[in-house]
Amino acid sequence: MPLVKVPKPKFINKLKRFFLADLLKGLALTFKYNIGAATDKDSVAGKGIYTEQYPKVRPDVAPRFHGAPRLNMDPETHDTLCIACNLCAIACPEDCIDVIAMDVEIIVAGKPRKKKVLDEFIFDTSRCMFCALCQEACPTYCLELTQDFELATYSRAGFVWNREMLEQGRETVKYTS
Amino acid sequence: MVMRMLALLAPIDFVAQLLLKFFGLDTVNYVVWPLIQIGLVVTIVAAWVAYGTYLERKISAFMQARLGPMRVGPWGLLQPIADAVKLLTKEDFVPEMADRWVFFLAPYIAVAAAFIVFSVIPFAPDWGVITDINIGLLFVLAVSSVGVLALILAGWSSNSKYALLGALRSSAQMVSYEVAMGLSLIGALMFARTLSLSGVVNAQGADSIWYVVYQPVGFLIFLVSGIAENNRAPFDLPEAESELVAGFHTEYSGFRWSLFFLAEYAAMLVVSAVAVSVYLGGWYFPFVYGFTEAKGYHNLYVIVSLLFFVMKLIGVLYLYFWLRWTLPRFRYDQLMDIGWKWLIPSALVNIALSAFGIFLVQALDGWRDFKTIESISGGLNLTGKGKVLMIIFGLLGLFITGALLARINWRSRDFNLKSQRRNIQLVNLPQGRPAVAATAPAASEG
Repeated sequence: MPLVKVPKPKFINKLKRFFLADLLKGLALTFKYNIGAATDKDSVAGKGIYTEQYPKVRPDVAPRFHGAPRLNMDPETHDTLCIACNLCAIACPEDCIDVIAMDVEIIVAGKPRKKKVLDEFIFDTSRCMFCALCQEACPTYCLELTQDFELATYSRAGFVWNREMLEQGRETVKYTS
Repeated sequence: MVMRMLALLAPIDFVAQLLLKFFGLDTVNYVVWPLIQIGLVVTIVAAWVAYGTYLERKISAFMQARLGPMRVGPWGLLQPIADAVKLLTKEDFVPEMADRWVFFLAPYIAVAAAFIVFSVIPFAPDWGVITDINIGLLFVLAVSSVGVLALILAGWSSNSKYALLGALRSSAQMVSYEVAMGLSLIGALMFARTLSLSGVVNAQGADSIWYVVYQPVGFLIFLVSGIAENNRAPFDLPEAESELVAGFHTEYSGFRWSLFFLAEYAAMLVVSAVAVSVYLGGWYFPFVYGFTEAKGYHNLYVIVSLLFFVMKLIGVLYLYFWLRWTLPRFRYDQLMDIGWKWLIPSALVNIALSAFGIFLVQALDGWRDFKTIESISGGLNLTGKGKVLMIIFGLLGLFITGALLARINWRSRDFNLKSQRRNIQLVNLPQGRPAVAATAPAASEG
């Protein structure tokens, strides 16, 4: 008693097998890619080269990509825009932001007042998941996740960014060739 | 022959004069110039091996929408040199308990077997041939089988299970494909009436036709079994990466490994060169003779013929790469199936059909002023009518062979696993009731 029943191939199937239709189809596909790559047609259409020559050519990241954090400054006065409100630290689900504020004495309308200003800003990128909730929370558009993606360092300590790194950007080696 | 070459290559004329001062005429003809030819061929083949790898990487990359080597030199052109330096500076490792002498010897056998064959291949007319022996094709088949022996020795001596399995596979593969390869050539030899490779090319030139149109079946069989003979994908079972690490050269490293690599690419070149010589007309191309040799430019004739030979060779080699990056590897039983059930019978059928075709053409000659044969001395020379007849017969042979083999192998399994799976239907299942587990379900609840 046979366990399986294999139906007899139809005439068209037999004909296809005889003329090696599947083999020719496969060969045509690879040949199409080869010609497309040699003449470098549009890669999005599926016929060109997809490879990015990364260090030589910077890749285009998606518009909604979130990368390295940055503390923006006032472009004219170069003072920080941060008002040390701590909203970003509260918004952060990973608890990777520490805002350290200090009080400074200022005179407002003849009276001595205390003002809370930013002293130090600690951002632990090793724990950050780049959800950009801090960026959403920031009332002054100070904290921003940029599109820079080269975040690797040689030590764990290097992942913790301080205020200077956040404001000036971290020094990285740019490979060109 | 060689002296004509000396006389017509004006810039190296004084070299010839110089050589004749030191050596006798015979020494120059039979020792010095062949040595120069051999040196040239070895250099060019080594360069081909280096840049063949580059070409293969580039082509495979293009077929997969990648770029391939790009970093060493412009467009990665210096990559083969970097590879060579890397391979030569690597440790020459010998595994423990290996059969040392055989282990050392095997790569050299592989390289020698691959390179010796180039001595009989006609690259071009006149001085484009190193030596023209009258059993050229037999020599090619015999020596290229020795290359497989090297793989077996390498696998055996490595003292490694993967290498041994690769060697076993390669020996089984050799047994099943060598026969088909030899048999497939016989059809073409019936037309050429000689075993010398130069003779085969000359016969095609005299008939002004490529034997592939007379012998499509033979060409296909030769191509398939040639690829199998070279252990190239889709027949690369002796070095199947996913199953056997690296097959017979698992334990080889550095220089010795690169020798195997050299042998593989050189053997590819050999099979392609034989395929081109026997089926694609070798250096013969229409109109070349009339434009060069007939007007007295002998060396130009040789060089243009050489160029055509190289172009055809590149075409066949591209086919190698193309097939490699298109087809997945065969299963082992499929490989044996193709060899024994399809290729060898079809080669035999091809021989019978070619013999019948030639008989038919000869029988028709002179029948009611129907002239088919011009001459028969140096290869079969057909008239236009005879050629048309023969071409139709060749194409018919394709169908006859296919139909006959399909009839013979009607019981053998379908190769297309996907269609197999799609077509399988379970029969004799109890209908209407869901399946019941064999054990009682209550036992697990307590």
